[in-house]
Amino acid sequence: MSDTDFVTDDDAPLPQRRKAANGDRWMVGLGLAMLALMLILTLLGPLIAPYDPSMTSPNSLAPASAQHWLGTDSIGRDILSRLIIGGRTTLLITVVAVCLALAAGLVLGLTAGYIGGAVDQVIMRVLDVIFAFPVFLLAIAVVAALGPTVPNLILTIAIVYTPILARVVRAPVLSVKSWDHVEAARSVGVSEFRLVTRHILPLAISPILVQVSLTLANTIFTVTALSFLGLGPPPPDPNWGGMLAEARQFMELAPLTVIAPAGAIVFATLTFIVLANGLREMLDVAGKR
Amino acid sequence: MTRLVLIRFALAVPILLGVSVAAFALMRLLPGDFAQAAAGSANVSTEMLEKVRRDLGLDQPIWVQYLAWLGDALRGDFGTSFVTRRPVTSEIGGRLGVTFELTALAALMAMVMGGLTGLASARFRGHTDWIVRLWNGLMLAIPNFVVGTLIVLLAGLYFPQIRIFYFVPFTEDPLGSIGSLLLPAFALSLAVSVTVSENTRAAVLEVASQDFVMVARAKGLRPRTVLRNYLVRNALTPVITVTGLQIAQLLGGSILIETIFAIPGMGQYLFDSITSRDYPVIQAIVLTTAAVVVLVNVLVDIAYIRADARVEG
Repeated sequence: MSDTDFVTDDDAPLPQRRKAANGDRWMVGLGLAMLALMLILTLLGPLIAPYDPSMTSPNSLAPASAQHWLGTDSIGRDILSRLIIGGRTTLLITVVAVCLALAAGLVLGLTAGYIGGAVDQVIMRVLDVIFAFPVFLLAIAVVAALGPTVPNLILTIAIVYTPILARVVRAPVLSVKSWDHVEAARSVGVSEFRLVTRHILPLAISPILVQVSLTLANTIFTVTALSFLGLGPPPPDPNWGGMLAEARQFMELAPLTVIAPAGAIVFATLTFIVLANGLREMLDVAGKR
Repeated sequence: MTRLVLIRFALAVPILLGVSVAAFALMRLLPGDFAQAAAGSANVSTEMLEKVRRDLGLDQPIWVQYLAWLGDALRGDFGTSFVTRRPVTSEIGGRLGVTFELTALAALMAMVMGGLTGLASARFRGHTDWIVRLWNGLMLAIPNFVVGTLIVLLAGLYFPQIRIFYFVPFTEDPLGSIGSLLLPAFALSLAVSVTVSENTRAAVLEVASQDFVMVARAKGLRPRTVLRNYLVRNALTPVITVTGLQIAQLLGGSILIETIFAIPGMGQYLFDSITSRDYPVIQAIVLTTAAVVVLVNVLVDIAYIRADARVEG
C-alpha cells in the first residue's frame, strides 16, 4: 500500500477540472450514440430482422452461423430477429411509461412545490405510501392484479416511478420559487401557469433530466424482470426477459440463447446509465444523497 | 433524543396505514370476483358462492371489510390460503426467516465489497478510481436476475462440481446454510454494492478534506493510522445508512433471486401465489414487506441521528 496522501477537491488544479468536464460531455455523446443505435435497430426492426421472429424450424438450438448470427432457440426461431423485435416491445413500454410518469411527476411535483402548505403535505404523503413499497414488489402486485397486458404494464410502471420523479421536481421548485426573478415576473403580472413553466421549471430541469435517464434504466430492469417472471407482454410477441427465462432450461446446450438476451438487457440499461452519469457531471447535479 | 425517536415512529404510522389500504385495495378491487377466486374454481354453484361471500364478510360495506382485515392482520392473522387452506401466517412464518437470511447476507456482502472499492477509489484516485467507477457502472447495468442466470450458466458449463440448487435451513446447519446462500446473495448484492461504493467514495473524500484530518496529518500521524482512525471510522456511518436504505431493493430483488435459485423464501412463495392467484398470501406478503421497509427506514433514520451529533431534530 503506497502512502500517497489524499488528493482532495480543493487541491485539484483548474485545468484538470475542465478536462473532466470534457470527458463527461464525451460520456453524454457515447450515451446518445448507444441510444441512437438502439432506436434505429428497433424502429427499423421488421425491415432488418432477417427472419420472422415466430417462425420455427427444425434447426433448433443451433450455434452462431452465417444464416443465424446469434443461433436459434429451442424451437428453432432465429434469436437475432427475436432480439430486434423483442426490443420494440420492451422499449415501447419503457419510453411510454416513463413519459407518463414524468408527466404525472411534473404536475404533482410542480403543484406541491409551488403551492406548498397543505396541498404539498397531502400530495407528498400519498406519494410516500407508494414510495414505501419496494418498486419491484409493487409492480408485481399491480400487474398480477390487473393482468399482464402491454397497457397494464405501462400503467403499472408509470405508477411505480411517479413518486421519485415528483420528488425530484418538487425539491428545486421549493427554493427557486422564492428567487427574485420570480418575484419580478409576478409583479409585472405574469400568469401563474407561465410563472411555473417559464420562470421556475427551466431552472429545475437538470436534476429532472438526470432522474429521467436513471428511471429509464430502472424501467428496463423492471420490464425485463417482470417478463422474466412470466408477467410480461403476452406471447407470441418476443421480449428480452421472457427469452432469458425460456432459455434457462437449455442454456448448457446453447449458451448463446441466454447470453444474447442478457447482452441486450445489459446494453439497454447501460445506455441510460451512461447517459445519466454523463448528464449528472455535465450539468453539475449533486449525485450524493 | 427519546422524543425524536418517538416522533420518527409516529410519522411512520400514517404511512403504514396508507400501505395497508393499498395492499387491501389492490387485491379486493381487482377485476374478477374475489369470492370466486376464494372458492377455488370458476364453476361453483350460486349458493356456494353466497356462502363463501358470507363467510369472508364480502357482503359488508368495503370499509367494514378493510377494518376487519386490518384488525386481524394486526393480531397476526392474515386469513386462509386459497390453495393450501391453511393459515397464511404459518405458511409465511418460516419463509420470512429464509428471506431475512438471504437479504442480510447480501447486505453484508454489499457493505464489504462496496466499502472496499469505494475506499480504494477515494484513496488512490487516478487509475484505480477509473477502474472502480467503470466496474460500478457495469454492475449497475447488469440486473440481478441476469447475474443470477449467468452464474447458474457458468457453474453448469465450467464448474459442475459446484452445487447450485440446494438450500440448507439455518436451524439445521448455520454454516452450511450460509454456504448454500453464498452465490444467490452475491448476485443480489452486486447492484447494492455500487450504491455503497459510490457513497463510501464521496464520504471518504468529504472527511479527507476536513480540518481535523489535516491536523492529524500535520502532527505527523502515519497515513495508515489516519486512514484507519479518522477516515474509515467517519465514513462508516453514511455507508451503513445507505445500505439500510437499500433494503427495499434487496427485498424486491430477492423475489427474482429466490425464483432462480429455488430458495424456499418469501419471494419464491409470492411468485407461486401470483401464479395460483392466492390473494390472501399476496396481500400478506405485500403488507409485511412494505412494513419491514418502512420500519427499517425509521431505524436507519434513528441510527443516523444517534451516530451523527450534527443532525438535530
